[in-house]
Amino acid sequence: MSAFVLMFFATLFSLALHRTFVFKPFVLLMIVLSGFLIFLKTPVLMYGFAQSSATNLFLLVIFIALLAFTLSEDKEINITQSLFIGAASVLLLRGTTLLTFVFSFEAVSIISFAVVGHIRSSIQADGAVKMFISGALATALIVLGLALFTFGGGNFNLSLSNIHFNALMEVGLWVMLAGIFYKLTIVPMHSWAADSYANIKPSSAALLSGIAKSVVFVAVLKLFEPFFIQTLHVSIFILIVLSVLTMTLGNILAMFQKRVGKMLAYSSIAQAGYMLMVFIAVKDSYAQIGLLYLAIAYVFMQTALYLLLDNIGGGISDITLDDVKGLVKKDRLVSLFFAIQIFSLAGVPLLAGFMGKAIATYAVVDAGYWIVALIALLNSTFSIGYYGWFIKNIYFDHSVKQSRVISVSTSAKIAQIILLGGTLFFGIFAFAVFHTSFCSL
Amino acid sequence: MSELILYLVISPFAAALLAYAFGKIDKQIAFWISEILTLSLFIAVLYLFFHYTNPISVDINWFKFGHFSIPIGLYIDHLSMVMLLIVSGLGFLDIHYSHDYMAEDPHQPRYYGYMLFFIGGMILLVSAKQLSGLFTGWELMGLASYLLISFWHEQKAPADSGVSAFLYTKAGDIFLFASLGLLFYYAGTLNMVTIDHLATSGKISSHVSFVVAIFILIAALGKSGQFPFFPWLLRAMEGPTTVSALIHGATMVNSGIYIVARLFGFYAAGDALIVVASIAALGVFVGATSALVQSEMKRVLAYSTMSHLALAFVGLGVGSLAAGMMHLSNHAIFKALLFLGAGAVMLSTNDTKDMWRFGGLKKPLFLVAIFMAMGALSLGGIPPFSGYFSKDAIFATTIATNHGDIITALTLIGGLLSIAYITRMWILIFAGKPRDIELFNAVKTPSKFWISLPLGIMAVATLVLGFFQKDLADYIISAKYIEPHITHMMPVILGAIISLAGIMYYFYYLRLDLVKKLIAQPLIKSIHNILLNGYYVERFITWFTHNIMVDFLAKVVTYIDIHLLDAVIDGTNDASHVVFNRLSKTNTKKSGDYTGGVIFLVGLVILTVMIGARA
Amino acid sequence: MIYLLTIFLPMLLAGYIYLFTRRIGGAKYIALALFVALFIEAWLTYTNLLPSGYTMLGSYLDVKRFDFVLTLQVDRFSVIMLLLVSVLLIFVTLTSWSVKHQSAYFSLLIFFAGPIFGLFMSTNLLWFFIFWELTLIPIYFLIGIWGDKQRIFAAMKFFIYTHLASMLMLLAFFLLYKQSTTFDMTQIKEGALTTPALIWWLLFIAFAIKMPLFPFHTWLPIAHVEAPAPVSSLLAGVLLKMGAYGMIRLVVLMLPHQAQKYDYIILILGLATLFYAAFMALYTTHIKKMVAYSSISHMGLVAIAISALSFSGLSSALFEMIGHALIISILFVIAGIFHEKTGSWQMGDMGGIMQKAPYLATLFVIGGLAALGLPSTIGFIGELSVLISAIMAHGVWLAVIAAASLLSAGYFIWAFRRVIYGKQSKVVALTNFAIHPVVFGALAIFAILVIAFGIFPQFLFSGIDRAFDTYHLLGGLA
Repeated sequence: MSAFVLMFFATLFSLALHRTFVFKPFVLLMIVLSGFLIFLKTPVLMYGFAQSSATNLFLLVIFIALLAFTLSEDKEINITQSLFIGAASVLLLRGTTLLTFVFSFEAVSIISFAVVGHIRSSIQADGAVKMFISGALATALIVLGLALFTFGGGNFNLSLSNIHFNALMEVGLWVMLAGIFYKLTIVPMHSWAADSYANIKPSSAALLSGIAKSVVFVAVLKLFEPFFIQTLHVSIFILIVLSVLTMTLGNILAMFQKRVGKMLAYSSIAQAGYMLMVFIAVKDSYAQIGLLYLAIAYVFMQTALYLLLDNIGGGISDITLDDVKGLVKKDRLVSLFFAIQIFSLAGVPLLAGFMGKAIATYAVVDAGYWIVALIALLNSTFSIGYYGWFIKNIYFDHSVKQSRVISVSTSAKIAQIILLGGTLFFGIFAFAVFHTSFCSL
Repeated sequence: MSELILYLVISPFAAALLAYAFGKIDKQIAFWISEILTLSLFIAVLYLFFHYTNPISVDINWFKFGHFSIPIGLYIDHLSMVMLLIVSGLGFLDIHYSHDYMAEDPHQPRYYGYMLFFIGGMILLVSAKQLSGLFTGWELMGLASYLLISFWHEQKAPADSGVSAFLYTKAGDIFLFASLGLLFYYAGTLNMVTIDHLATSGKISSHVSFVVAIFILIAALGKSGQFPFFPWLLRAMEGPTTVSALIHGATMVNSGIYIVARLFGFYAAGDALIVVASIAALGVFVGATSALVQSEMKRVLAYSTMSHLALAFVGLGVGSLAAGMMHLSNHAIFKALLFLGAGAVMLSTNDTKDMWRFGGLKKPLFLVAIFMAMGALSLGGIPPFSGYFSKDAIFATTIATNHGDIITALTLIGGLLSIAYITRMWILIFAGKPRDIELFNAVKTPSKFWISLPLGIMAVATLVLGFFQKDLADYIISAKYIEPHITHMMPVILGAIISLAGIMYYFYYLRLDLVKKLIAQPLIKSIHNILLNGYYVERFITWFTHNIMVDFLAKVVTYIDIHLLDAVIDGTNDASHVVFNRLSKTNTKKSGDYTGGVIFLVGLVILTVMIGARA
Repeated sequence: MIYLLTIFLPMLLAGYIYLFTRRIGGAKYIALALFVALFIEAWLTYTNLLPSGYTMLGSYLDVKRFDFVLTLQVDRFSVIMLLLVSVLLIFVTLTSWSVKHQSAYFSLLIFFAGPIFGLFMSTNLLWFFIFWELTLIPIYFLIGIWGDKQRIFAAMKFFIYTHLASMLMLLAFFLLYKQSTTFDMTQIKEGALTTPALIWWLLFIAFAIKMPLFPFHTWLPIAHVEAPAPVSSLLAGVLLKMGAYGMIRLVVLMLPHQAQKYDYIILILGLATLFYAAFMALYTTHIKKMVAYSSISHMGLVAIAISALSFSGLSSALFEMIGHALIISILFVIAGIFHEKTGSWQMGDMGGIMQKAPYLATLFVIGGLAALGLPSTIGFIGELSVLISAIMAHGVWLAVIAAASLLSAGYFIWAFRRVIYGKQSKVVALTNFAIHPVVFGALAIFAILVIAFGIFPQFLFSGIDRAFDTYHLLGGLA
């Protein structure tokens, strides 16, 4: 029995356990068991799926994040949905053909719509609707692209390696990639994300931006790598422009936001820029490991931050910087969680975020595009502006009276400790990632 | 011998700490430590003097960095010995005198600590072998001078004066510091005797010697209170009079002359002596004329110091090491005497400095008046007092060398005027009728042992030394000194001196009312003002440093920093704010608009791929 | 293993102290004990050094890929830096004896100790960068939380500006790794690099920002001014020294040929810094700003010494660095105390402090005199050795350095006049200048060191000289 099967059935079964005291223990057990199955390298046993040490590691990371999510979240339906994301991730990361990719990509997308369906206010409704429309558009583009690809003579039930691409197939794949980039919030298709991530319930944003997005990124690189390598002479310009635009715009727009959620949303866009940057160096031996590292770090940091936001606000989505002023005087531990994860995002060393950024940047340098790397690093300096400002609000300011911050439960703190552990572990013990590869087992 | 020299250099510093620390327990302890120490120093120097055979040299390696090493050795020869005798002898007398002079002051431990520190710095300076050691002594002395001038730092004037003293001398010192580096580069050593030899034997090119010599001269002029650095010397009079006597009359100000004398061969080789003579001649004139009109006795003495040290510089500048050093030694003694005498007057008159309030003080202060008269005669250049001989030697050499009529004229006029201002001063203080009866009635007679005795010793010394001038000159240059002979010089000079004294006697003793009338004349008044303010040199320097250096240069730099360099950095914040606001408008919050981006991208992609596929 | 603990134990300990000693107190004693232990460790390391070259202390986390190896190797230069840093940390602890929020404050200080030791011990450039960047965090908090009115602006500016420097440095390291396939600075050969000039410039600007050299200095004055006094001395004594250390180790010793090609750049920026900052100090009436500019001005001297690219130049640069650390620490702390007691930064508001607090004022005077290069203080030795090595390397026109000491005399003597001497101002008359004896003791010890090393500089130079005596044989150094 593979992890996918276990997770899939756990999702269904957990629905029956809603409102019972065994719900959370059951979910936690299932996640741990699935993680164990991943550890044992049990295959999916279907055509078009294969596993590698890198994807297995990443899946373990996803399951750890899901574990933390489960501990931290109090809406049972969200937890059930998160289990489904876990199941879909297994397929997405292990898929080797276009078909499996599209199939599991849609699985992740569909559950995304369900996740944001939890609407309590007009703001959240706004976020959910935008999410839905953009998702639909992306799906349409993907299907269109797939059609074009097939029209051009491609077989979508094979992997993309060893294929000679004609112009129509290339266009098809690019249209498909446009749809995927739409989901991945690449500029100029980022605006929806800024609204959605910031407006929906923060814990849902944690799932979408923290977990789903990084899974898709890794899967895209894994699947489309042969395509990028073959057509790099054409696409390099587009990739450079898009990644530089994405990271710069994300950082600039994050700079003076008043709402924490919005700031994190733009920061997430900027991170997407860093991840896209790795595609420039797709021929380089550090590219895959760099993206994997970035994604792993991103799972921990972004999930932790959105969950914290959810915890301190009790689920409301418009916590502002004023609300977190002087947080350190109310709760030292939560402030510390915030600080460390923010520093990780900012690229402070001995935290996962730094290693991810460093290796990704090095891949670009190694590929010969040191100017792009310089831009990325300068962007990182830029990002200090708002990350530091956020820390400043927590640590240096005095609290304001009308702050809506509530105290954080113990289980949520345990969840945070798990995520913090991940950030620290992958910040120091780089061998865990370096010893993996994307070669099929 | 070398242990003794080390004792000379180190003990004052150690004693300074002890005097300060134990002085906290009882002020008398501080005094006695200083008294005993300075006496022991004097005895040690006398011992050295009588047992001296060859130059004594002590080599000490200070530090070594990279391939270079900087030693701080000690070296005593005749030149140093003369200076050591002056420093230790006058130092002892000055400390002895301080017992009564400083008796009322609550901060005696600090005073004696500083004084000993100063003596240590001075001894280090005159016994240094290398320029590094000399510079150390030079600066430590400068620090001591600064601290002692600002001794009463809680008052505005002494505090300000200390600042002037430090900064004026520092302005010169940086040139000495620079020449440390220059000489290290050109000569490869800082040993002053070696440098002298190298320059004399032509190993250092004369152009280099000239530039470095001028650099060192600037420092010397600063330290010796010469034109144009002299304003600090005038302000230094705000310190205790004992300090003025020892530091700003007799010893520290001599160090500028000492360094030129020490590097005499170097100066000669670099043809820099003419510059020394020219600047110094100007100083002789400026000092003497300004001294003529001052109303505070310490200021008269300060200008006189400037003028007489300039004379010594002229002596060196016209090529006579012996004449310059002779005058330095003689001047040290009679100037210390005059300063301490003035201090005695101030002590007796409740710190009054204005000579116009005195008059007729010779009755209550008989001893002081006699001793000061002897000092004045020596200063004025009346034989057989020592001042006459050295001044005569300088005049003779100047005329004989004839570096130019202006130099000779300025030197002679300035040198001769000294009798005029010192007569004026003595008459205003001691002769005539008391002008301020209240003050006159309150005069206390100072202690014979603590105050008059040191004055007496110095007065006798300045007289006796007059009979040993030949020996002194021979000793300094270690050879037979032959004074150039100028026909009819002696009668002319003596005649001029006596007639000047007569004029002063007429105006200031017989017809004091005429002086006031004269000063009321517009032309005389403006000249009088120029002289009274020391040719407005200080005002110009103050204007330059305040308005040009601080309020213009430093202000411009600050402006550039704030409004250009820093503004660029801080501007990134505002700039990103502007960009942020612009870009925020792209987020229309309308779902439909977002699809525009997609269409744009897809179009771009297809275009690129099509072009790429064709190419 | 003990060296690995030296780096990581403080970082863990910091977390423990932050979270658990808030109520029971005692953080400062732990900090003091730790720093003293670090000093002893550094001293033992110093005595056990190999006579030349690097002494291996251990190699950890061996990941062949990306050369992610924590290689700890020290030579005499780095151990001297360790000694300096540990002495300064002790000083900072003692002078912060009665600071507010002790558990947080001292946990940050302790946290700082880890990476700063790692920085000087690691020869792997990637780890060098990691430690470099980690030192920013505690300083950022120390300025931001304990700082003065504009602390937030100062902290942000500090963080962003120095992070910019780090990023340039990181790019340079990546290029180095790409071109020489190792991050180990001892293995990198300049000849094997394909773009040495680009790397040199990136590294130079990065370290010039940190040192800081004109025109990259603008982050420092505000950081100095707003930081609490002991942190200012940490900034001047340690953080600026990191820049100078990097400048010597990576810009000069690792890339000697490029350094020779561009030595005039270092020289000119050094000279510009020396005079520019001195003029700034002359104009300001803000006591701590004046000290800050004086600190920058002295770093200009260090840069000039480095630009000599000679054995003696590096020796004098290191000496000047040590001297500067000792002197500026005293000045910053006392300027901070004056401000804390009188409530004003303006020198015009003070005056006559000598009458109220003679000993404290005397220490300030000693510090100031040392800073203006009075002989018999450590400042003079530094200035003289820099002057001589600069003149020997670049020619006699560098005698112009001497002029800077007139400017520094100008602002320090005027500061004494305004602050220490003169009549007591109204504020001073009402102020009680009593300070904690521990604080005074620390200041007094530093003042004694300033004088002792000024009289017996050979004690320092005999160690410093051996730090560089092998390099002139290896690289292109004369």
